[in-house]
Amino acid sequence: MAAGFKTAEPLEYHRSFLKENCRPDGRELGEFRATTLNIGSILTAEGSALVKIGNTTVICGIKTELASPTVDGPTKGYVVPNVELPSLCSSRFRSGPPGEQAQAASQFIADVIESSEVIQTEDLCVEKGKLCWVLYCDIVCLDYDGNLLDACIIALLAALKNTQLPEVMINSETEQPVVDLEKKRPLKVHRHPVGSSFAVFDKTILIVDPTAEEESLSTGLMTVVMDEEGRMCCLHKPGGTALSGEKLQDCVSRAVARHTEVRKLIDKVLESMKMDT
Amino acid sequence: MKDAPLSNCERQFLLQAIEQKKRQDGRQTYDYRSIKITFGTEYGCCTVELGKTRVLSQVSCELASPKDSRPTEGLLFTNLELSQMASPAFEPSRQSELLVKLNRQLERCLRNSKCIDMESLCIISGEKVWQIRVDVHVLNYDGNLMDASSIAAITALSHFRRPDVSIQGQDITVHPAAERDPIPLSIYHMPISVSFAFFQQGTYLLVDPCEREERVMDGLLFIAMNKHREICSIQSSGGIMLLKEQVLRCSKIASVKVSEITELIHKALDNDKKVRKEGGKCGFAESMSKERITSLQTVESPVEMTDVQETAREIIHNAETPSETTLSPVLHAVGLGQVGEGVSSGWGVEEDEEDEGMEDQPERAEGSRKGDVVVISDSEEEEVVVLQ
Amino acid sequence: MAEEASHTFLRQFGCEQSLLSKPDGSASYFQGDTNVLSGVYGPAEVKVSKEIYDRATLEVLIQPKVGLPSVRERAREQCVRETCEAVLLSTLHPRSSLTLILQVIHDDGSLLSCCLNAACMALMDAGLPMSCLFCGITCSISVDGQIITDPTAEQEKESRALMTFAIDSAQKGVLMATTKGSFSVTELQECIAVSQKASERIFQFYRDSVFRRYSKIL
Repeated sequence: MAAGFKTAEPLEYHRSFLKENCRPDGRELGEFRATTLNIGSILTAEGSALVKIGNTTVICGIKTELASPTVDGPTKGYVVPNVELPSLCSSRFRSGPPGEQAQAASQFIADVIESSEVIQTEDLCVEKGKLCWVLYCDIVCLDYDGNLLDACIIALLAALKNTQLPEVMINSETEQPVVDLEKKRPLKVHRHPVGSSFAVFDKTILIVDPTAEEESLSTGLMTVVMDEEGRMCCLHKPGGTALSGEKLQDCVSRAVARHTEVRKLIDKVLESMKMDT
Repeated sequence: MKDAPLSNCERQFLLQAIEQKKRQDGRQTYDYRSIKITFGTEYGCCTVELGKTRVLSQVSCELASPKDSRPTEGLLFTNLELSQMASPAFEPSRQSELLVKLNRQLERCLRNSKCIDMESLCIISGEKVWQIRVDVHVLNYDGNLMDASSIAAITALSHFRRPDVSIQGQDITVHPAAERDPIPLSIYHMPISVSFAFFQQGTYLLVDPCEREERVMDGLLFIAMNKHREICSIQSSGGIMLLKEQVLRCSKIASVKVSEITELIHKALDNDKKVRKEGGKCGFAESMSKERITSLQTVESPVEMTDVQETAREIIHNAETPSETTLSPVLHAVGLGQVGEGVSSGWGVEEDEEDEGMEDQPERAEGSRKGDVVVISDSEEEEVVVLQ
Repeated sequence: MAEEASHTFLRQFGCEQSLLSKPDGSASYFQGDTNVLSGVYGPAEVKVSKEIYDRATLEVLIQPKVGLPSVRERAREQCVRETCEAVLLSTLHPRSSLTLILQVIHDDGSLLSCCLNAACMALMDAGLPMSCLFCGITCSISVDGQIITDPTAEQEKESRALMTFAIDSAQKGVLMATTKGSFSVTELQECIAVSQKASERIFQFYRDSVFRRYSKIL
């Protein structure tokens, strides 16, 4: 009976739960799904992390390359994020060139990196005007069940914290770079942005961490990115239901709590790895 | 979205009118529609209105390396875009026949006619030259795109100014406009395209066909010419046979039209120069008609900010304070933690989840694990330790 | 934070509607030197692959002035599209297509807000049913903490943070928000409050322009 109701009237089905201040999967309105983090999942990458928020699974790998900096910014390196939504992660995506959602997500991650200054591109400079590092942050979604952006940011942050750059010297005679793979230093991560996503139901009810189904039924989505000092790095609301300043403030409060949660998780996992070595 | 088709009676009506030397908009056979040229605030930006047809052209430049075969010459690129705004029939990211034809013709008109001194764009021979790019956007389509585009492109090129550069050894410094006055391109001549539409197998001829006339025409002849009456490019399309006399007659008409249009362009350029020199306002906003009932403008308006801080403070004050108690993460294994108990993944039971994290664990463990540091609850993990 | 000034300014702005003959609705909107031209087609026949059974399909295209649209334009398109979808009563035209094309004519700061305003004016010109109107406001926070509305390109470059909001005319709520740079929660709330105030000016302008348009009929 319930299954039939869910299929025939998905919106009514969700509403009947929301009326009782809970959600079909048993969560409260302000509750996130279990977030699992595994750091160092890919050994061939310089840094990597796998994040699961409920069923949503995202893996991030950081690859580094040496390149010459631009004329405009001779002391700056590059950070190139890319979010991929392959057809395997959900039936809603097709294979081929990146769709609108993947492009928007890539742009969002690029904005977060730029706004939060999580990496200062000056740190990536090896020699002024000659040589710098390029960080390719490839984020691939393996299973799409809503709240992609949160998962992407956690994966990116954890992977960056896991990244080690080898030492590079420029040979003064040949002017060729020499990479010393033995000596590695961790990448400096200046700030720790963490995102929290919200969905608006029926123009009034706010729920956190929406699943794919909740996303498609909702009338608006929003992502708030906070850093550890309680400053906002990004408020991304692409459209949908209009919200008042008060409602936004509630979201911000929830995002602050979420930040501590995730920060602790990342720190604990990293610590366990440090103890391990 | 497809364009609305033309009905047979409309077609017949149009053709009959042409036979009687009449045009729908009251023009004579050799008349152009009114041409309006306006400039933007930037250098190298202009719109051209030819009747209702409207195109926007923008010239930009960047440093590039020259072609190996011509190390002392700059580069010129033209790109015409048929925006969907111009007509719903234009589909984005599709190379339609019309688009290819127009782009080819524009390239011939501008690049192959050598109207710009390309050698003056060279900075260091074989290393760095200016690459000039002309973007033409079609904004509204009412026939004769070619003529409108060629006027827009050459006007924008004449209006454009590139930044000054200085060379010291191998280092190139590009001076912004505030430091040194930008330099105009040196233009030898202005090729302008004139289109002739032929009807009834070449019996009738019209200058500057509008969209409806283009739909019933049999063939089209483009003649690009400058005011010195030199033909820069000539192309007939649509598969009609033209007699020698017809082509000659067309070229005579073209020479008259071209000198008229060239004069108009010069007048527009001079006018813009004068306004800029006097420090007056320029740009499209200024050229917007204020009398039209559909347009309205306001002056700079202040926004009161006195009670803004108060409102903000109130909202923050009234909001719920974030809860102090946060969930603490649980560590399942080395490098694998979890926070929150909400819904864990439907991927399976707890063990599975750790499995997935474990996949790569043993390999790394081999290199670094001392073996006794971590308290392990997972049976598989234990196996790894035992192996060591 | 520096002592707050009591006023901030919106640059001179204006709009011309119905200036293109082909589209069903068109508008050219300018704020200072920033200028965006918009055209709307629809409701019209929709491709089967894009058909939605209970409402109209809205497509938004943003064309940059130089070169081809990039990922940045895609992200802006998404913002404009979802804002329009929230106010358009698209269920009144099921199984049809609406296309909104925005052509950037000149960018001198506050481009996204100009795109939003041009979009709203074009939708009004096309006579599409909407539940309310919307407008876009860009605020920048300068290095010394001053809020500047409708910044120029130069002010944007010097700013510490930049936010663009779409405000609806019914409740003055935030339809769309996108930010750059980092800022405190107080600054966010202040910018929202300023934008809501500034939106009143723009909605008054919308009202005036509609009044002017129909003044001969009334």
